[in-house]
Amino acid sequence: MADKHTNLIVSAAPHVNAPQDTASIMRDVCIALIPAVSVAVYVFGLQALILTLVCCAACVFMEWATRRIMGRPDTTSDWSAMVTGLILALNLPVSMPYWMAVVGCFVAIVVAKQFFGGLGQNFANPAIVGRIALFIGFATQMSTWAVTPRMSSAIVNVAGADAISGPTPLGLLAKGSAVPTNLEMFLGNINGSMGEISAAALIIGGVYLVIRKVISPVIPLSFIGSVAVMSLVFGLDPIFQVCAGGVMLGAIFMATDYVTSPITNAGKVIFGIGCGVLTMLIRMYGSYPEGVSFAILFMNILVPHIDSLTKHVAFGKEKGGKK
Amino acid sequence: MEKKSKLSIFTNGLIKENPILVLVLGTCPTLALSTAAMNGIYMGLALTFVLTCSNIFISALKRIIPDSVRIPCFITVIATFVTIVQLVIKAYMPELDGILGVYIPLIVVNCIILGRAEMFASKNTIVDSAIDGLGMGIGYMIALTFMGCVRELIGAGTVFGMAVTVNFLTPFSIATLPPGGFFVFGCIIALMNKLTKGKVREKQENKCMGCPGSSFCSKSQEGGCDQ
Amino acid sequence: MKAALFLVFTAIITNNYVLVQFLGICPFLGVSKKLNSAMGMSVAVTIVMVIATAVTWPIQTYLLDPNDIGYMQTLVFILVIAALVQLIEIVLKKFIPSLHKALGVYLPLITTNCAVLGVCVLNITNEFTYGQALLNSFGAGIGFMLAMFLFAGVRSRIETNDYPEAFKGVAGTLVAASIVSLSFLGFSGLVSGLFGM
Repeated sequence: MADKHTNLIVSAAPHVNAPQDTASIMRDVCIALIPAVSVAVYVFGLQALILTLVCCAACVFMEWATRRIMGRPDTTSDWSAMVTGLILALNLPVSMPYWMAVVGCFVAIVVAKQFFGGLGQNFANPAIVGRIALFIGFATQMSTWAVTPRMSSAIVNVAGADAISGPTPLGLLAKGSAVPTNLEMFLGNINGSMGEISAAALIIGGVYLVIRKVISPVIPLSFIGSVAVMSLVFGLDPIFQVCAGGVMLGAIFMATDYVTSPITNAGKVIFGIGCGVLTMLIRMYGSYPEGVSFAILFMNILVPHIDSLTKHVAFGKEKGGKK
Repeated sequence: MEKKSKLSIFTNGLIKENPILVLVLGTCPTLALSTAAMNGIYMGLALTFVLTCSNIFISALKRIIPDSVRIPCFITVIATFVTIVQLVIKAYMPELDGILGVYIPLIVVNCIILGRAEMFASKNTIVDSAIDGLGMGIGYMIALTFMGCVRELIGAGTVFGMAVTVNFLTPFSIATLPPGGFFVFGCIIALMNKLTKGKVREKQENKCMGCPGSSFCSKSQEGGCDQ
Repeated sequence: MKAALFLVFTAIITNNYVLVQFLGICPFLGVSKKLNSAMGMSVAVTIVMVIATAVTWPIQTYLLDPNDIGYMQTLVFILVIAALVQLIEIVLKKFIPSLHKALGVYLPLITTNCAVLGVCVLNITNEFTYGQALLNSFGAGIGFMLAMFLFAGVRSRIETNDYPEAFKGVAGTLVAASIVSLSFLGFSGLVSGLFGM
């Protein structure tokens, strides 16, 4: 292949022809996120819903506005900006000031996506870039975790009866305090980013996406699996580690972004394992308590190399795809 | 080369061939030091001094320096002036030494200076070279200070250390970190593209014109490196 | 051993010379379009960094400092590096022509690569021992390579993008670099945590 467009790799047959388009896929992702949003509203109250709506509206508006300023066709109808807004919102603590959330939406939609030409041309997941930029830029606000009466007693007790914020399960673990039970971790009676708390709700959404053939389960399984294996190796509770922080949300909804994940199954496995291993390394040794988004962003950057390493070779062509 | 007016030589560095905004030279100190507006002034002054002096000196010596060893000679001249700046800063402004740090000695390898020596001073009169050095240096200072203002304003809510938005808006501190440096620089160049309707980009695409490597880079004869 | 690895990995990741310390940005932006040339440049830079440190550190410690002419550092270092680069080129051409063919284009450009002079100066500023200085330079070179490797991948992915007019060219490349350097912030504390230092 001596063509210039090395990023347009046609894999070996068979080629899939499905009645899906971007809008239907993105709509399915939105539907799959309904359980997670519902849990967030149940645990954190109405403010969670308002913040989610603010992010979605900001993302859609910025998508519309940048496309207009650039003089390009409007793409808000493909629902992708909506999904970015939804996922970004679920990555924020409920107490996040709205204007800061809007800054995050700007970074996600305008910087990470439209500056590179729009959907399909971004090399990093927009929501991840937005989240990390907020996390680094507004560190205090991004790590203030609200406590509500609906949360595990392990969190409420440590925070104190009248406290409005308290440590997350990963924070408790780092301090060596008692952590919520695994059932609480799974159901979501904990604090953290709005959409991260309930593993159960995220898994329901993930199963829906797999059934609808929107995502392949390869990345989530290898991501979550490698987090579990790493926990076992280091003598940690795998169920706690998998349910804590952003693993579920990241593995199911952010690492599976078509644009920024590898094409082949082998590539997806490498990508998932890389995410899982990096997440655990950052959790255990890094200065940040949570490493999911950094891990996914780093693996996003590696995707071109993973793709060229694992690309299918059509029958009869030389292995390695050298020109 | 046609005769240029003194004024056009001076403004050349300010606008048309601004070393940062148009030629994208000396990017390392630009990114590293633009965290605060004041750094731009300090670094700009240091660079302007070295650039003007080395331009004068190299222009004066242009008939004496043998062509085959001109690059080491240029570097020696530049390094001498950098050492002078280093000593002055260490003696009179030790706190500045801490801020600018390694970027002071690194002025030696700043592509702008070697580039001007090669492209301008070694071909022009002493006066013209001095004006060129001043123009380029001040152009550098303005661009760096501007970038510093933007990053300081967003990242710390201050400009030149004075509170602007910090009292009512939480600063978005990422602007003063490395990603913010790349990003703000990218946006400023995009703005230049917009203002000049892409003329800036055409210049940047022919990067050999400002690259100090152009004199010994084999690819410069082939119309620029494809890199 | 642990201390040595700590030093190397700090230079590669936490203090990455390109993405964190902003040294060697010109080749990072200029020679990262194709993976092959990015790697060639990185190998050449790593070699020159280590050799330059091997030479400049003793010069500073045994020649400049005892004679109280430490201020000659900048002048001496840059001339030594320039001479070294020439020497390496001649030696490669003579003895390993294949390697010279692969790296020859990049060698002359390395003299003015601020990462090389930067690492030599920083080794002295940080008061490293000879061994530490060599390890740090090696780590700096590998870190340069890592940054180039990552960025070359990203650029191969985005070079055919349909950028907005204003972000075509250097501007878009810088924004991409910003996202790559964002990912490196996640590694903060990782190396010291890993090695318990």
